[in-house]
Amino acid sequence: MSAAIGKRQKATTFQLLAPGVVWMILFLVAPIMMIVYVSFWTQTTFAINSTLTLDSWRNFFASEAYVGALWTTIRLWLIVLTLTFIIGYPAALYVGLMVKSKTVATVLLVLCVIPFWTSFLIRVLAWRPMLGKEGAINIILQKVGLIDTPIEVLLFSELSVIIGMTQIYVVFMVGPIAFMLGRIDRNIIEAARDLGAGFGRIFWKIIFPLSLPGVVVGAIFVSVMVLGEFATSGALSGRKVNLLGNIIVTQVGSLKWAMASVVGVILTILLGIVVAGFLRIVDLKREI
Amino acid sequence: MTQSDPIFRLEGVTRRYGNLTALNGIDFVAEDNSYIALLGPSGSGKTSLLRVIAGFEAPDTGRIWFQGRDITDLPAHERGIGFVFQNFALFPHLTIFENVAFGLRNGAIKVPDAEIIDRVRASIDMVGLAGLEDRNPDQISGGQKQRVALARSLVMQPKLVLLDEPLGALDANLRERMQTELRTIRERLDVTFLHVTGSETEALAMGDRVAVLDAGRIVQYDTPDAIYDRPIISDVALFLNRFNLFEGTLKDGRFHGPFGAAPVSSVRANDTDVYAIRYDRTRIFDADSSELPGPALPVRYLASEYLGSSIIFLFETADHKTVEVDHHLSLGEPRNLSVGQNYILSWDPAQAIVFGKEAAQ
Repeated sequence: MSAAIGKRQKATTFQLLAPGVVWMILFLVAPIMMIVYVSFWTQTTFAINSTLTLDSWRNFFASEAYVGALWTTIRLWLIVLTLTFIIGYPAALYVGLMVKSKTVATVLLVLCVIPFWTSFLIRVLAWRPMLGKEGAINIILQKVGLIDTPIEVLLFSELSVIIGMTQIYVVFMVGPIAFMLGRIDRNIIEAARDLGAGFGRIFWKIIFPLSLPGVVVGAIFVSVMVLGEFATSGALSGRKVNLLGNIIVTQVGSLKWAMASVVGVILTILLGIVVAGFLRIVDLKREI
Repeated sequence: MTQSDPIFRLEGVTRRYGNLTALNGIDFVAEDNSYIALLGPSGSGKTSLLRVIAGFEAPDTGRIWFQGRDITDLPAHERGIGFVFQNFALFPHLTIFENVAFGLRNGAIKVPDAEIIDRVRASIDMVGLAGLEDRNPDQISGGQKQRVALARSLVMQPKLVLLDEPLGALDANLRERMQTELRTIRERLDVTFLHVTGSETEALAMGDRVAVLDAGRIVQYDTPDAIYDRPIISDVALFLNRFNLFEGTLKDGRFHGPFGAAPVSSVRANDTDVYAIRYDRTRIFDADSSELPGPALPVRYLASEYLGSSIIFLFETADHKTVEVDHHLSLGEPRNLSVGQNYILSWDPAQAIVFGKEAAQ
């Protein structure tokens, strides 16, 4: 009797899981398998056939440009991640902890999101008149008299890509951290003060550890988006900065499916390692 | 320090939130090495007072003295006053041991590691939690959290510990056990506890002295029996929940109330004329009884509550006011009363407490 009930419960479990499982297989697992498969196909100049070969993989690792793009992607990702954290954490600290009124905190968070009401490309391109040789920043600095000749490195360089990405993605760092900070019981901070801890001690021993899950979630958001980036580098680097995402775009554009797949697989593996690494820092299931 | 030296002193402490005056010019002197219960209804300003003493909030006016030193402008983390929060406020990411060690590790004074271990162990032992050092706060019960919060404060060897409704979050059984334990722990440590509570039984049971807070003022500060027997104003009597209170008029040495006119020997100053008689001093007589000890209050019997050691009889007066009579069973078997029947309540007028406007003039 109980075995029959157990069997029926098992059947129900499967039925409830089925839609999700089917969805994930159709739209996540199958496409990834397909990309992995295509990365081993044989590419000729104008066609592609399914004869398996390692040629595309060899080409990738033999090409200085491609491997260089891999390192550029990793370097830019680390720089942007660090900057979004350094700029985002204090902002989140203010919104999530210092602001006492929940209404004000919500208003401030919404203000952070307002730039998203315009299109992504416009937000990226808006940096050009800011950073250009005759852009706002150079004009102001010249008028103030701080510089004689315009700073050319501001636009169409790695710096402009970093500035653009940091500005666009910092809000994804602020949100989760502010959320975690907002959940900290104020009495805990008062208890720490009462036990004789000054602000620095309270921050490093209480506030920062308790906000760590937010930092990890924010870092995952930023990482996933920055590692797959191609638009910001395309629009602000003047083709000088090539990320893995840019390579995929050009390869797909010239119908080089096999090479595009190789880069796609490498990017997916890189993302997997990064996300898994962040998840090791905190047990998100326990914290959220 | 001798028993009578004050541990802390408040001078005209006032705290306002917008239009609301939470603390209204409080003057207070607390003896060293004592258990002080601070009793007040919700909204009376008890928590505000505690937070001002701890330094989490600054008073708008007034000074706070602690161990002979003016600490009004000293930040909370330099005051050395313990605080036990109602919701315990344990650090959720630290073990019990590290929770208790937090103040020693992160305070202004560097404490050597060996001493930290000794003191934390001793403190955890004292509250009876030995063996749980490595657990996390979410792995222990409410009562155990309470003990950790207490150990965390006491390990700093404060001279004053503020407890904000420390038993409020515990169930009734545990509450009684913690009451005794808090008292024993305090007596062992030569420390003053200021225990805020909204429960009159808790305040009377625990405090060496009880301060009654009402609308931002300390209206009475005395021993529990003095508060119980001689509430200074009718609000205190009402809050103690042990008195039948009657409104009426005080005139020419007699109080005119629903029980007729009763002779009055002494009157306490009050905003209104109120006649108070304790539940356990009120006695029940048949409706036609002629041997009454004092005033006669005609009532109708409603119901009774059995409390183990005594029975509470509930009556209703002609104007639908509930009157209680507490009959202690050691005084003999209670009377058999029938519901809906009329009776007369009476008492010895010498045992009544009368509050009146007249005395205030």
